[in-house]
Amino acid sequence: MRDVIQTIMGMIGAVGFATLFHVRINKLWACALGGGLSWVVYLVVLNRTDDKAFGLLASTLTVGFLAEILARVLKTPVTILLVPMLIPLIPGGDLYYTTSYLVRDMAEEFAESLNLVIREAGAIAFGIIMVTCFVQVTQQLYNRFKVSK
Amino acid sequence: MTRDELEHVLAAVLDVGEMMLTSGAEVNRVENTIKRMMQAYGCNRVDVFTIPSNIVVSVQTMEEVVLTQTRRIANYETDMYKIERCNALSRRVCAEPPTLQELKNVVDQIKQEKGYSSLTKLITYGVISAAFSVFFGGSWSDGVAAFVCGLLLYVSAEACGRLKVQRIILNIVCSVLVGLGAVLLTSLGIGQSVDKIIIGNIMLLIPGIALTTSVRDMISGDTVSGMLGLCEALIRALAIAAGFALVLWQFPV
Repeated sequence: MRDVIQTIMGMIGAVGFATLFHVRINKLWACALGGGLSWVVYLVVLNRTDDKAFGLLASTLTVGFLAEILARVLKTPVTILLVPMLIPLIPGGDLYYTTSYLVRDMAEEFAESLNLVIREAGAIAFGIIMVTCFVQVTQQLYNRFKVSK
Repeated sequence: MTRDELEHVLAAVLDVGEMMLTSGAEVNRVENTIKRMMQAYGCNRVDVFTIPSNIVVSVQTMEEVVLTQTRRIANYETDMYKIERCNALSRRVCAEPPTLQELKNVVDQIKQEKGYSSLTKLITYGVISAAFSVFFGGSWSDGVAAFVCGLLLYVSAEACGRLKVQRIILNIVCSVLVGLGAVLLTSLGIGQSVDKIIIGNIMLLIPGIALTTSVRDMISGDTVSGMLGLCEALIRALAIAAGFALVLWQFPV
């Protein structure tokens, strides 16, 4: 039940951010879909592997491809869809606790959670990089194939 | 096309590039758009150099006319709709270049496009922070408190923006105010956990779009732009952390 509420809240958050970024109403559904999917994938992978960073990587890869596909279907730039979809994955909570450990002078917990935040942010960035590179290479191959034909 | 006309076309195309950059498009996309559009208008050589704070374009036509224009970019406001409109315009220009007057009209139209109203934004701020405070494990009453803090955040950010407060200071001020608001509300009995309320608001302040864009910039080879964006995002994140740290330090939870 908790997971369901969390996913719904993630979707609301994604749509909210899409609104702040002036995404038009007719594309908000895509952001909601991606925002929800990103969190579901994260929860499923986290359940299997118990590794937060890996969960974020898997989830970023999934929505990355979803955003690339939807962007081509809807004929819009990828960023419009990708950024709102990734919003629920941002490690806001861990970032907060890192700061709070720092202020409360808890050096050990601080180091540990800073490490976690960096790993999480790195996982998301790496996921974006992998999707973008894959799409670029595929597009090049497709273009060559078309030219040679 | 005469030199005079070309100057105006280049200015209009630069307007498009400027709008895309301030609205949060990647450097690579801006450069490609400017290049394709100028080529559609008959330039056989187009050199564009873009970083997040500047655009420089030199074009050369068949008749050996060489033109250079530059733009300094200062204010950013993420606006995906503008990026989309500019993208559509660029597709249209590449297919069939419209006349100078028509191009100018469309550019002006995109410029004057109003997004969602301030009221919508205000409520969205509240809804986002409420949603994320519940998302990160807060109770429903934490959500209500986060909603109020979200409204406070929008009002203070807007006020600082009007007063032209420097952006780093703006982030510190906003996070201090939100932190104080969260502490006050919990002491009044609305919401139990200050941390969950603050986390909901942190999500609004985190420069997520700057981070994503700079990573994408770096992959497409614009390392300099990527580093600039990343640096700014990190400084902003530090400012936010400093603001909340101040509050937490005074009111330990």
